[in-house]
Parts: sequence; structure tokens; C-alpha cells
Amino acid sequence: MIDLEAIETRILHGGRLDAGEALELYRIAPTYWLGRMADAVRARKHPDGLVTYIIDRNVNYTNVCVARCNFCAFYREVGHRDGYVLGFEEIFRKIEETRALGGVQLLLQGGHNPDLPLQWYEDLFRAIKQKFPDFKLHALSPPEVIHISRTSTLSPPEVIRRLVDAGLDSIPGGGAEILVDRVRKLLNCCNKATADEWLGVMRHAHQAGLRTTATMMYGTVETDEERLEHMLRLRALQDETGGFTAFITWSFQPDHTELGAAHGISEASGIEYLRTLAIARLVLDNFDNLQASWVTQGGKLGQLSLAFGANDMGSVMIEENVVRAAGASYCMDEVEIVRNVEDAGFVAKRRNMHYDVLGDPFFREHDVARMLELSTAREAGDTSVPAELMHYPARSAAGKKQRARPPASPMA
Amino acid sequence: MNINLAIAERARAGQLLTAAELDELWASDVLSLGMLAEEVRRTRFGSDVTYTRVVETGNPSGAVGTGVELRIGALPASLDEAAGVVVAARRLAGTQLLTGFSLADIIDRHWADLNEVLRRLQRAGLNAIAEAPVDRIADIAALKAAHDAGVPVRCLSLQRPVDGTRTGYVMTVRSLVQALPSLQTVAPLPREQSVAVPTTGYDDVKSVALARLGLPMVKNIQVDWTQYGPKLAQVALTFGANDLDRVSTIDDESLGRRRTAIEDVRRNIAAAGFIPVESIPS
Ligand code: SF4
Repeated sequence: MIDLEAIETRILHGGRLDAGEALELYRIAPTYWLGRMADAVRARKHPDGLVTYIIDRNVNYTNVCVARCNFCAFYREVGHRDGYVLGFEEIFRKIEETRALGGVQLLLQGGHNPDLPLQWYEDLFRAIKQKFPDFKLHALSPPEVIHISRTSTLSPPEVIRRLVDAGLDSIPGGGAEILVDRVRKLLNCCNKATADEWLGVMRHAHQAGLRTTATMMYGTVETDEERLEHMLRLRALQDETGGFTAFITWSFQPDHTELGAAHGISEASGIEYLRTLAIARLVLDNFDNLQASWVTQGGKLGQLSLAFGANDMGSVMIEENVVRAAGASYCMDEVEIVRNVEDAGFVAKRRNMHYDVLGDPFFREHDVARMLELSTAREAGDTSVPAELMHYPARSAAGKKQRARPPASPMA
Repeated sequence: MNINLAIAERARAGQLLTAAELDELWASDVLSLGMLAEEVRRTRFGSDVTYTRVVETGNPSGAVGTGVELRIGALPASLDEAAGVVVAARRLAGTQLLTGFSLADIIDRHWADLNEVLRRLQRAGLNAIAEAPVDRIADIAALKAAHDAGVPVRCLSLQRPVDGTRTGYVMTVRSLVQALPSLQTVAPLPREQSVAVPTTGYDDVKSVALARLGLPMVKNIQVDWTQYGPKLAQVALTFGANDLDRVSTIDDESLGRRRTAIEDVRRNIAAAGFIPVESIPS
């Protein structure tokens, strides 16, 4: 039986948990014990009582994807009538709206669209930076980098170098799911990136001087050991590079997914989320920041996360497409995030991707309308094809056919 | 533990905490408060969590099978109509428990003498008044009238959100339960929520904990499963709640899921470390 008192003393003195201890704690330690320990570590790392958040917009530039992960409700197959690629002008408009709300960056992620060559990304990034020089691009998770590396036949480090030249500022930690290949095979996401490939892209990014985040999606087919293995692999890479700014975990959202339907998997419970967050705070002792996933857990659990190790409320998002497709539709605008942070007894501050504090809440100094619902990538039924897409070569048969036609609704 | 140990000791012993003590508990950190409420609840009331399957009238797809409570929600404009709704619902309910209405709504209508109104509803087939929100009606005479008319109030609830400590609410409920000890179910989370400014997670779980600690004579601290959702409702169980209301009888298969509402609720209860027990309404 594990000696909780001895472990408590070790944790409070900054000592490290080994794999066996972490697993046993995750399985049997009382939830309140995990919460108290995680809270103590949070307080040690953030003694100023600040809880941060970022105003950025979560934009999914395309939903067309060849990866077909079975836990994903967001993607559309190549040639599907609901498949979309956002136009540059659409993205500029989203940036302008984001800036009006005090936003400083785009979180830009999308499907593995075979008809978007590297050049498209480079042109987009350059165009954004030219129009909005201070605006940050937190873009393209490791599987997207690998996808582009395959379509361009360049190595991932070379792809990263080209994207950085074009304006990439940092890489989001999406697509990690569970970094164990047994699980990735069952989720049909091993092809998009093995665990080693995912970690490899992050290593290259860190070596190239980029900061990145790390994520974990739990609650599918993995075991407790595999969740811990995931965290330990992140911890090891963080020891090596120190390049991760934050860790974000969330539960699999089963609605409308192949996996949810085929296996009858229900969403992991709220308490499981709080326990997972807390053990992550204890295991990931070399990560400074842990985000609350209010977008999957709701505002109430999002706030309670602050008592279970989280020190950051993530992003106001403004827009969300992926989790919504799988059944969750929570919204917290800046006003609501700040109210929740302060209600929990913390001081709310705006930050950037590097977790530098940018200032006090934007809405307190500017006239900003309340936002009670997150936007979507596009209005429902908008299937317009952006004009500039025609300038890029498509790889798929459907893509080639579409680009042979003049655009249905030209966008300058 | 960041909590006043003397107060914690008195709570463990089931003593009546003063308003000042409840205020102090409210100001404690959320985990310490929750831990104490859970400890008190386990030692005094065990590890069972009861849940009730409810079919609401106006939602005819719900099957009124055995062990299900049929509940009438909105109160019609006239007493005749209300009695008519009860008669129709009774036909649907068969021998199952039929509850309905908020005592506060009934009183606000000023239809006739309250005793007569309640007896009329009872004669029409109503078994119990679903709830009395104590921020609207804290009149022990009205609660006793319902009891005497054979339509006892099943739950002392709260209509609107409260700012700050819930001490006032707990003290009001306590005085009502002391006067009418058969009132054994308290739902401390507000029925109304603002979309723009909902109650926070901290608010909700602390309200549950304070109700548990301030009401040692009450067995059931209840959370509405449908309104508050599986996540908050489950976490509330570890803050002293032991009863889940309004579990749907309808299985949601629209999303390609193979689970039922009952499975969901039982799984959530077990995952929180408690024993799920279906409450058979009678
Ligand atoms: S999770 Fe990403 S990579 Fe996988 S199918 Fe969905 S969009 Fe494609």
C-alpha cells in the first residue's frame, strides 16, 4: 500500500513521482488528496495567485481530412459536399474580429487535406503577417506538420523551417491523443503520426526555438497505465528540451463519432477529469502551466479545475468546430472567464502563448459585446470555394476536378 | 486543512451550527469544505446515492413504467384547469406516484382558501406537491396545509440564485424542517439560471456542502440531474449530495450512443465512489 504521507512530503518539497507511484495514486488516492496536492503544487509554481487566459480564436481552416481518426466527428472525406477550405479573406476577417475583442493570435488547425500544398500554408502565413504584423500564429499540430511533410516530400524539420520563415510562431499540441502506439492503432490515428513521430516533431520544433503545448485526450480505449505513460513521455521530452509551455487534457467527446457508436463509449465523468488533471499536475512537475478544458467540461468544471491544479483558463476561443461536432457546446467569453477566475479567489490576467502577462481584462477597458455562443468556421450551408484555391495544385481526383472549374462564388 | 477545526468537529457530531459558523465555513477553501461535507455525509448517511426516474407531463414519449414518478410542471391558469390536468395525468400515471407544481405558484394564484385548493388537487389524484422554493415561500403554515391535505411537499428548493453565502437559505430551511420533520429532501441549487451569468461551479458545490453541514436533520441533499448535468451533479455527490432528481426515462439513441440515462447515472454515481440505489417513488 502506498504511503500517502511520505509522498505528500516529497511532493511538497518538489520531489518527483515515479511511474509506479503515479499509477497507484491515480487509481486509489482519494480525489480530495489528489486535489489538495495538485493545488499545493500549483500554488508553489504560481505563488502570485494569478490565473491567466488568452484571447485568441480557434480557427479550423479545413475539415477535409484523409486521416479518418475514429474518435473524430469533425472531418469530412475528400469530395464530401460539406467539406470546406477557408479563404484567405475569410481568415483575415476572423482575425479582424478577434483583434476587436482584444485577441492576439490564431490557433489554426485543420484536417489533413491532400489538396493543400505547403505553398498554400506559406502564402497564407505570409499574407497574415503582412496584414497583421503583431498577430501571432499558433498553428499546425504535429500530425499536420507530418502530413505536409508527406505531401511536400520534405522532412518535418524542413517543413517547420519553411513555415517559421513564413510566419509560424508556435505549435499547438493537438493530435497527441494518447502517445502509445497500441492505442493509436485502435483509434486509427497511428498513420497520421506514431507516438515517436509526434514527439519527434515537438523535439524539432523546440530545437528550432519554437515553444509548443502538449495535450492528452483520454477516455477512449486506453488503460490507466497508458495515460500515465503518455504523461511520462511528455515529461521526459520536457526534461530534454524545456520547450512545452503548457499541458491540456480533455475527455473523448463521443457523440457522432464512429468510436462512440461502435463501442458504446460514454464520456468520462467529471470526477475522472478532475483526477486526471490533478495527477497530471503531480506527474508533469516540469510543466509550469496546466489549462482547464472548459470547452469540453463546461464552465462549472472548468472553474473547479482551478482547485485541482489548473492555473490557466485556456482561450476564449471565439470559435469552435471540433468539440461542437462531437456534442459539447459550452461557451465562456472573456467576461465569464474573468468572473469565474475571480469568484474562485484568483486574479485574472490576459497572457500570450508564452504565458507572458499582457494585462488586465480587455473588456474592463474597452466596450466589448457579450458573446454567449461560440461562432463556427462558416455559416451552415456555406460551401463556397475560395478563389485563390484555384492557384494551387490539387492531389486528389475530387480536388483536381473542382479546381478545373471556375469558382462558384469568387472571393477576391 | 484550511477550515476551522472546532466548527468541523461540531459538524461531525451533527450539532446545529450557528449562522456565524456557516458563514465561516462558506469562506473556507472549496476542497476543505467539500472534504468535510463528504465525511459528514458518509458517516451519518452512508454511501448510497438515490436517484429518481421522472416523466414530466408534456413529454409524452416518456414511459410511465413501474418505479417512475410522473410530474406535472407548469401550473395552469385556473384551479379547474389544474384539477383537469391532474385528472388526466392520473390516468396516465395509473398507480404510480403523481406529483406536480410549486407550492409558491399555487399560493401566488390566490384561487381560494389554500386548504381547499390543496384538497381539490388531492381529490383529483395528486399525491404530492413537487416542491416549495423557500426563497418564495417560507411559510410553515402553507407547508403544513399541504401535508394535512394529503399532498405533502416533496422537496424544499430554491428558485433564484443567491449572491454570496447560502447561510440565509440554510437557516430558513432548518427552521421549516424543525417545524415539520417529515420534510427530508432539500435541493439547494437554484431552479433558475441566467444564461449570461450562471452560478459558478464553486457556488454550486459550496451550496451543496453548506446545506449538508448546516442541516444535520435532513437526509437528502438533492441535485437535479437534468438541469445541472452529469458532470456537476456527479461532483456535487462528493460535496455532500446524496440524491439525484429527474433522471430521464427516455434513452437517447439519437447520437448513435448505446447507453441509457439509467446506465449513465449509475456509472457516474459508482465512478464517484458511491452506491447507486434507485429510489422507488411512493
Ligand atoms: S482528429 Fe484531425 S486528423 Fe483525425 S480525422 Fe479529425 S481532423 Fe483528421
